[in-house]
Amino acid sequence: MSGTAATLKKPQAALSRPVLIGAAIVAALAVAVAIGGKVIAQQIVSGLMLGAIYMTVAMAFTLTIGVLNFLNFTIPTLFMLTGMVAWGLVHRGFLSFAGGWAWLLALVIGVAVTVVASLIVERFTFRYLKTKHGDATEHAIPLVSSLGFLLIFEHLVLIAMGSEAQRFQIPFKADIHFFGLVLGGAQLLSLALAVAIVAVLTYVLKHTRMGRALRTIAESPDTASLLGVDVTRIVPVVFVLTGLLAGVAGALFTINYGDVSPFMGDHVGTKAIAAMVLGGLGSIWGAIAGGLLVGLTETLSIHYFGGDSVQMVVWGLLLAVIILRPQGLFGTASIGKGKM
Amino acid sequence: MLLEVEALDVRYGRTHAVRGVSLGVGADEIVTVLGSNGAGKTSLLRALQGLVVPSGGRVIFDGHDITKLSPPQRLRRNLALVPEGRQIVLSLSVHENLQMGAYCRDDGGVDRDIDAIYDRFPNLAARRAMPASVLSGGEQQMLAISRALLARPKLMMLDEPSLGLSPLLVERLFGLITELRGEGIAILLVEQNTHMALEVASRGLVMELGRVVLEGPAQELRQSDRLAAAYLGHA
Repeated sequence: MSGTAATLKKPQAALSRPVLIGAAIVAALAVAVAIGGKVIAQQIVSGLMLGAIYMTVAMAFTLTIGVLNFLNFTIPTLFMLTGMVAWGLVHRGFLSFAGGWAWLLALVIGVAVTVVASLIVERFTFRYLKTKHGDATEHAIPLVSSLGFLLIFEHLVLIAMGSEAQRFQIPFKADIHFFGLVLGGAQLLSLALAVAIVAVLTYVLKHTRMGRALRTIAESPDTASLLGVDVTRIVPVVFVLTGLLAGVAGALFTINYGDVSPFMGDHVGTKAIAAMVLGGLGSIWGAIAGGLLVGLTETLSIHYFGGDSVQMVVWGLLLAVIILRPQGLFGTASIGKGKM
Repeated sequence: MLLEVEALDVRYGRTHAVRGVSLGVGADEIVTVLGSNGAGKTSLLRALQGLVVPSGGRVIFDGHDITKLSPPQRLRRNLALVPEGRQIVLSLSVHENLQMGAYCRDDGGVDRDIDAIYDRFPNLAARRAMPASVLSGGEQQMLAISRALLARPKLMMLDEPSLGLSPLLVERLFGLITELRGEGIAILLVEQNTHMALEVASRGLVMELGRVVLEGPAQELRQSDRLAAAYLGHA
């Protein structure tokens, strides 16, 4: 009997630290609400909404890092592409036939264009340029070429549509009042959609044949190949998912905040990288928690210290976490390379 | 012959790892490839499974030229490799590792075959839901072989399966290899444990610096002076 008890206790011990950290964060928020009242509660709600967008983008980064060991710098530009393509389509009147639904159609086309762009990136950064030298160049070449794509896409959009920020109108404003808090309908919808996408992706990775193949590639592409996984056919799937996550996040951002610009992805992209590292590199739950935490930190630091403080507070928090807990808040020092 | 290798060459940059190796494995025999570290044995197996592209030569398996096929394509033609160091997927559970073994199959018999594996190796059954990283070395080797079995191989290649196992487990391992041959699976066995390998194999080859320097029936090799000499490095 004692043997069983010992083996049962083990997973709890492994879980306890992230659970403690999560509980500490929730407790801190509760204290903040108790002191600050409704104003703070409203900030927390806005923070979680913003965090849902960071979470989705962080998930895109996590997927390529976790499976391909590749920091895909084109993700911010994919995020931007959705918003700008959607704006361009509506602005030039291509979708006037869709009437009141033009905005939605524009965003769907925007996401589709983003997925195609992501596949183009795969073809040029990963498939043809991937070399096996077994040294630093092996990782540096896809990294640098994806950085090249970031700049190329950004400036293509800039040449086509100008560098100014533009207004993307959504023809409705459905605020929901809940215990005196104002919840934006679009924001709530986007939170639900982001959570749903992340949940589906988590399920696919954990419980399907494709998910097992992806986790095997994450640990060792050679072993995956020995087990019959056609790695060159699965890599594009990762890029489709990356494009989908970045594109949907871009669409949600556009709906929520209504502003698009060729540089809108840079700000969100860097925050999402911070979120991913904060939560634990390559861990999906880390991306989720890190995204929400960065969103909260951002809105609360604007509230307490003003808008100029945001970058300092977010990156300061990240540096503090890296010093205290290099594996990230929710990362576990797992055996082997695969963390998915 | 189930597997026929003709004048295979493997190069990594300037290193010429395998030099004109020819060998054959019959449908129900165990053939062993012996040799010291760096003799080119692992490179040979990696080339036979398609993990490295040979720079010359041909590989015929089950009547087809598979020289240009990828590792998944070779697996689907029922050629499996249990790699050096076992290469268990540590972040997957024991059960998921077995499911990955049957990744190349799309028939309905996978669950039944996995159950048969659990009957054969109760240790794996007891740990089916645990991450494979908790397994001992011997259990990992059983899992690696089971995983290859689920691809229903006609020929299973094993790269130093006895490495790091206790003498008792080595006994069990070679017992299992003989059992597999009895079930109709041909075996190409790369080993450092010359004594045990020549006990189970019908024929053997000795490699040195990428070349086959000696080959013949296992019984003859066991008494050969040149085998010992090859290991000492002056054949």
